[in-house]
Amino acid sequence: MKEFVCIVCPNSCKLTVDDDLKITGAKCKRGDDFAVKEMTSPVRSVTSTVRTVFAEMPLLPVKTASEVPKNKIFDVMRALAGVTVDKPLKTGDVVLTDVAGTGVNVVSTSSVIIDG
Amino acid sequence: MKNKDIKKIIKDVCQVSPDIKTELKDGCVVLSGELDDWQTIYEAGAAAASKRYLGVINNVRLKGKSDGIPVPDFFDEAAEGLKPDVLVIGGGIVGAACARELKKYNLDVLLTEKSYDVATGASGRNDGCVHVGIDLHKGQQKLIYNGRGNAMYDGLCKDLDVALEKKGHMILFKSNAEGRFFSALMKLRAKQNGIPGVKYLPREEALKIETGLPSWCSGVLYMPIGGIVSPYKLTVALAENAAQNGAKILLNTTVLGMKTENGKIVSVKTNRGTIYPKVVINAAGIYADKIAEFADDRTFTIHPRKGTNLILDKKRFDYAVTSITKSPFTKLKNNLGGAESMLASATSKSHTKGGGIVRTIDGNVLVGPNAREIFEREDYATDNADIDEIINKQKATAEKLTRGDVITYFSGTRAATYEEDFVVRKGIRTKNIIETAGIQSPGITAAPAIAEDAAKWAAEMLKAGKNPSFDGIRRGVPHLAQMDAMERDALIKKNPDYGIIVCRCEEISKGEILDALRSPLPAAGTVDGIKRRVRPGMGRCQGGFCMPLVVKIIADELGIPEAEVTKAGRGSLLLYGDKNAEGVN
Amino acid sequence: MTAYDVIVIGGGPAGLAAAVSAYGEGAKVLLIEREAKLGGILKQCVHDGFGLIEFKEKLTGPEYAGRFIEQAAATGVETRLLTFVTKIEKIADGFVISLVDRSGVSSVAAKSIVLATGCRERTARQVFIGGTRPAGIFTAGTTQHFVNLRGKMPVKKCVILGSGDIGLIMARRLSLEGATVEGVYEVKSTPSGLTRNIHQCLYDFNIPLHLSTTVTRCFGNDRLTAVEVAAVDEKMRPIKGTERIIECDALILSVGLIPENELAESIDVALDNRTRGPICDQNCMTSVPGVFSAGNALHVHDLVDYVSDCSRIAGKSAARFAKTQSKPERKLTQAAFDKNFLYVVPQTVDLNSDLSAVSVYFRSGYDMKARFVVRVNGKEVFSKRYSVLKPPEMEKVVLNLAEALKDGGKPEFALEDVTKLG
Repeated sequence: MKEFVCIVCPNSCKLTVDDDLKITGAKCKRGDDFAVKEMTSPVRSVTSTVRTVFAEMPLLPVKTASEVPKNKIFDVMRALAGVTVDKPLKTGDVVLTDVAGTGVNVVSTSSVIIDG
Repeated sequence: MKNKDIKKIIKDVCQVSPDIKTELKDGCVVLSGELDDWQTIYEAGAAAASKRYLGVINNVRLKGKSDGIPVPDFFDEAAEGLKPDVLVIGGGIVGAACARELKKYNLDVLLTEKSYDVATGASGRNDGCVHVGIDLHKGQQKLIYNGRGNAMYDGLCKDLDVALEKKGHMILFKSNAEGRFFSALMKLRAKQNGIPGVKYLPREEALKIETGLPSWCSGVLYMPIGGIVSPYKLTVALAENAAQNGAKILLNTTVLGMKTENGKIVSVKTNRGTIYPKVVINAAGIYADKIAEFADDRTFTIHPRKGTNLILDKKRFDYAVTSITKSPFTKLKNNLGGAESMLASATSKSHTKGGGIVRTIDGNVLVGPNAREIFEREDYATDNADIDEIINKQKATAEKLTRGDVITYFSGTRAATYEEDFVVRKGIRTKNIIETAGIQSPGITAAPAIAEDAAKWAAEMLKAGKNPSFDGIRRGVPHLAQMDAMERDALIKKNPDYGIIVCRCEEISKGEILDALRSPLPAAGTVDGIKRRVRPGMGRCQGGFCMPLVVKIIADELGIPEAEVTKAGRGSLLLYGDKNAEGVN
Repeated sequence: MTAYDVIVIGGGPAGLAAAVSAYGEGAKVLLIEREAKLGGILKQCVHDGFGLIEFKEKLTGPEYAGRFIEQAAATGVETRLLTFVTKIEKIADGFVISLVDRSGVSSVAAKSIVLATGCRERTARQVFIGGTRPAGIFTAGTTQHFVNLRGKMPVKKCVILGSGDIGLIMARRLSLEGATVEGVYEVKSTPSGLTRNIHQCLYDFNIPLHLSTTVTRCFGNDRLTAVEVAAVDEKMRPIKGTERIIECDALILSVGLIPENELAESIDVALDNRTRGPICDQNCMTSVPGVFSAGNALHVHDLVDYVSDCSRIAGKSAARFAKTQSKPERKLTQAAFDKNFLYVVPQTVDLNSDLSAVSVYFRSGYDMKARFVVRVNGKEVFSKRYSVLKPPEMEKVVLNLAEALKDGGKPEFALEDVTKLG
């Protein structure tokens, strides 16, 4: 038997997976999916920032467009450390493709707004 | 202070501890030995104080501890070979005032301060009361300098553009009879001490001046010449005006020793090089006895007495709008609890008036201070026990006082001598030194008068004439939040940075911060230096919102990376540089 | 002096939602923001988890704010950035607001105002940590500002005091950026943040959570060198003998948020000493007619989705108030709530105003399994079962009280603890 706390939404459901892989405790289907993934190949979104060349906004917030394997989180961070944005981007624009070989893109979560 | 002879002193000290050796040397009572308890060492020193001798030199060591001026972590040649007419050691209010007074004469003045800024010791760690002197006694230097100093304040603060309020101080009484009786006694004292305007006010009269009187108070002794000032802003102003007039101020400069020959200081060794002054003024505050020792002129001992003050939110108008303190004679049931309270006050040898509630010049309410004898001279750590003690005690005066009112608190150490008086004099064994030591309360009030004498003596020693180009007028940083709309608007139109509010709690603009950074004293380039001068971060959020903004403004103005901006000088770095710079593990 | 129907003070998520909804009611709206950009604290909340209720998707803070900024931009809401409110004055038909910006001092008038001024963080001194005050003691929000907006690392190895959500989020953020988080210490016996954040921010990064433990002292004169932690008893007093010294260069505090209501107090808005926000009615109107409160200034929310939700009520009500010529007398009745609540908002209801959809926000006083019951004049009019209620997790219900309160009376809220019943 294994226990998890579902992190999909703020409800934070307490999930129990018994030896027959039966999942209990989830208020919705997303909890069941979370438990299965957590048992097999746990994944997480990574949110962070990357440097820009713009003094008004020295950092651009970014996220992985979808989840990446949990054990790749720090590889993603290392990849982001090497990025400097040098042109204005909008929310959702791709900052880095196939980050750390995960097949997932990193996208901007804000627009680079340059005053004046 | 008692007037006892050496035999009696030896007996008294022996009673405190038989392990201490007491002897008379060069007119001073010298104690030596080693103990493992500071309180005993302090009590021995106190027992050795007598009017008959120059002072107590308490050389009893605390086991396992060393006592001295902390050795700085860096050395350079910034002061090497300087030959000022007068070297002022210490950038507290006395040192800063001395530097300014000295510039009224044709003198070349150098002030050294070991910290990153002026007013980081006792001068920046007190309640800012401009004292009346009702508690002082004839024969004390404190009385003379407090009276003269108080009278100088109006003019000085006007010249230096430093806010001063003289709303008066009050001593609160419980019963009418008690109030009238003690007021009569104190009025007599006021007359002896030359304090004008002191009078008894019944509750209803007093309420017109002080709305925050506690419910039990039936009347007050009102002392209208009592005032309030920002002690660090005044120190900064004095130092800036001294600098404006050509005094050189070297921060981060620690005196490490002196060379004396034939009863004269020849040179002063610092971490920034050796200085060759003609005259030295010792304004070293909590380390004044160490400096006097270097100069072979020590007749006294500084024993640090720590005090903690609480700062309350500006909103607590119901606690005090002036400066109030419970009469030491007034006994209240709920205060400490009957018997314990009686015992505490009966056995009290406290050298503070018992603290009180003070409305600061910036509108906050200050509660405290308490008093505790400690060994470490610069132990500014705060303790929950002190906070509880202050709240329990001052609840008598601010009846609704709770921990929830407190936005922050600070500790300081008073530079007390065992004689509990100032030591303001020319050198005794060394000719070219002037001592301004033992400056505890009412030191803020007394400082301008002390400086006047010290500068005059220095000028006499050097036969210096008046400096005709001295300009005692200094403009401070404007405080826009206190201005009316027209005046504020006009200033913003001239400088739009005054219209960018950086500190939301205290309503401080970017322009005011830049003004402080561009002032004649370089220490403004620290977060705390800026905070002391123009108050961003002093409010209820304590800098949570504005500190990163202040760091950025400092960095941009000084042209340095944000990671090099410090909180309070060398070593107090806030940031390690750019994230991702070294990658992640 | 330009006159508006509604002036919204604060351009964070609450102010944006209030401004947009006030505009939607046909009001002429001005939104005032201190900073150079809209979005408030969301600008620095680069993590995700926002918007699951509002937009049915997982957004980061900047994305969530971005959506509302776009909404506002698509309306005729006027915006003044880098503008600071110095004073609010009550006049016969509304309010005059004094402003300071780069062009000088000016004033604007409004028939109603929405205070969306957010909240501030409690500081180290306010939780009475003794010792020295060196560099290296930061609130979680200040740390977040440095790391996420300035790209500066203020920490190598830190201790976090308080298990509030920002503290947990910063534990993960600092770990991702290569810092060491020695542990998170919480004086209470239960965590203050959301459970999922304990898991995804601490346990994912092997950061221990120490409950019933607090930081008692700081060491170091220049930069922090260590802190002392100690276990606490049930009254949250440190237990002698349990002290432990932890070497670290930073102490990060996430010890609670306090609604910012200095402007509200300046115009005599009555505050609730539980929420530390204004006492309001179902329309988010405070005790001063025409003054509305929204978002974290009203009470501290754990989810921005609910901030938007309640701010829309404030914005809409402010617009309606401004547009109504002859304002009906308010008939306020105090709601009652039992001691099992930490707090309930609104604290009052206006019987002369619409009662068909009253949004009630509440927190329980402790962890419990409970039945939430609403009674009017002793009669039960609503109930809902909760398998778990925790103080950090705010609940919201929408009640139709029109029928129950049509003849007057007051709503009485009860939380029946059914934990023991299983």
